[in-house]
Amino acid sequence: MRLNLYICFLFSTFSYSTYQYETVLDELDDAWSFVFLSEDRILYTEMPGKLKVASLTDKSIIEVTNVPDVQYVSQGGLSEVILDPNYKNNNRIYLTYSAKNINNKSTLFLMSAQLIDNNLVNKKVIFEAKAPRRTAVHLGAKIAFLNDGTLLLASGDGFDHREKAQKLDNHFGKLIRINTDGTIPEDNPFIGVSDALEDIYTYGHRNMQGLVVLSSGKIYEHEHGPKGGDEMNYIKPAKNYGWPAITYGIDYSGAVISPFTEKEGMEQPLLHWTPSIAPSDMIFYENDVYPELRDSFLVTALVSRDVKKVIFNEGSYNQESLFSELGMRLRNIQDSPKGIIYLLTDGPNGKLIKVIPKNL
Amino acid sequence: MKIAKYPFAVLSAALFTVMLITPITSISNLIWLSSVDMPVGIGSAIEVILFDFQRLGIALYGVIVIGFAIAFTVAGLITRFTSFGGKYLYALAGAVAIWLAIFLMVELLFQTELLGGNRSLLGKLFHWLAGFFGGYFYYHLISHDKNYTFIVRYLSVLYAYILLGIVLNWVFTPSDAAMGFGFDLYELSNEAQNALIRDFTSFFLATFLFILLGAITLNYAWYYSVAIIYFGAALFNLVAIYIHETGYNNIYISEIILGAWPMLLGLTLYYKTKK
Repeated sequence: MRLNLYICFLFSTFSYSTYQYETVLDELDDAWSFVFLSEDRILYTEMPGKLKVASLTDKSIIEVTNVPDVQYVSQGGLSEVILDPNYKNNNRIYLTYSAKNINNKSTLFLMSAQLIDNNLVNKKVIFEAKAPRRTAVHLGAKIAFLNDGTLLLASGDGFDHREKAQKLDNHFGKLIRINTDGTIPEDNPFIGVSDALEDIYTYGHRNMQGLVVLSSGKIYEHEHGPKGGDEMNYIKPAKNYGWPAITYGIDYSGAVISPFTEKEGMEQPLLHWTPSIAPSDMIFYENDVYPELRDSFLVTALVSRDVKKVIFNEGSYNQESLFSELGMRLRNIQDSPKGIIYLLTDGPNGKLIKVIPKNL
Repeated sequence: MKIAKYPFAVLSAALFTVMLITPITSISNLIWLSSVDMPVGIGSAIEVILFDFQRLGIALYGVIVIGFAIAFTVAGLITRFTSFGGKYLYALAGAVAIWLAIFLMVELLFQTELLGGNRSLLGKLFHWLAGFFGGYFYYHLISHDKNYTFIVRYLSVLYAYILLGIVLNWVFTPSDAAMGFGFDLYELSNEAQNALIRDFTSFFLATFLFILLGAITLNYAWYYSVAIIYFGAALFNLVAIYIHETGYNNIYISEIILGAWPMLLGLTLYYKTKK
């Protein structure tokens, strides 16, 4: 009898602690982000400059036409795609990508367009980062809607230009807040500040690739550190997040970037990952399909090849590694309208993987 | 010794050049940090310069050795078959080697400047200048007769250079150093933290100083001292594993290497002196 109980306990624990997976799409070419058009249709980007609509039921894929030309090199290409909150009525989407500017330098662009019959129409570049660089690295490129309908955009530090993240006269290492038509909201924090670009929301960032706005309006962001010092931050307007004057990481070359980890007037991260996990995307899970994940941040990671489940609780946090049995570099995570979690793997021959809920 | 002189001169000149190059990145960083009102003081400046010399330097060392080996071979051939030659030819070869090495690092690695100090024109100039002095130093080394003590000294300095990383970690960032040995420093009591920091720091600092004293004085007793300490560490590591049952680890292999290296240098000095 006791032996039976032990066996039951063993198997119930096993089934509780593991997930099953289904590869829904594969052979994706450097896919970077995706968004749900419905429960079984997604719109996704591939870095070489392809925007595609895929059916998750019959696996059919249709390429969207009239997509902007992008600079697909190094870390650059077609990056983020998100839907307008009013997409059902206006079919409007937003795309970020790297391309050459008028001076033949690489920088970050944000475009709005309408997706009509798998074709982009009424395209408009609503933002071009004043962050020209030699090659497309450290672009950031994440976008999120704030609850007031304005857009928040992550513009990375460009690697060679990291010190400029501390200056307000450029877009290196900044979070940018603009209206959907590209104009600047009147209540932006640096309006009227001399030598400051008025679309800047926060500064002192590195390469931000996770950006989440909660229903409460709270904004959370994570960014790649150098060697160590990946950070997750709580975003408040006008704040300086310290890079590269304070950091918990060192340079890839082994050099010290800064011997300082804190300074008055510079925000501390909610948590930092040292050694680096290379956080690549993030959602805040608010559904009930996976009850054990409810109200937690789910952060995909390229280096640690897992998803970090992070819960903050009055100044402290708990962290747990999920889905590591996949053993893949994870690029993006989204939950479907019904709350099913999907993971996008990184690189050529990428996969879209469905995490089967335990109760199915 | 005549043949060995050249490769060891390349290795020594490269180490000398690393010593000149790494502060360029450190100082340019420190100047920028000061410009944004970070509290840069003597302590933090020394910390940055020493860490960069060790961590950045080790990363660069291999690249510079390869660059110098090619450049000085070419300079040697030019000297042999043409009327050009002399110290300025080697100095120029050193400068070109550094320029080319850094250029290739940028072009082959994401087209980004991995060396922070090389992002400005002045920084680039200082890097080339460091290569120039490296070449000059190489010429100085090969233009004089050398005996076995040259190799012993080089291997001693290299040993100290490798050890310097652990020493700096224990001096400046003991919690990181402790983590490398499997301790979470902040989970220990204050007394335990104190004991850990003082004992480990003095252990590594002492062996670092002993080997440098050996290089300066060429007295084999210093080398034996280092060897005894690391062989002892290896022995008691095994005692801990098999008698006190602390669980297996393979750190004793590193400890045996760290003991054997100075032991061989000490024995070389002992027998050569005896002869």
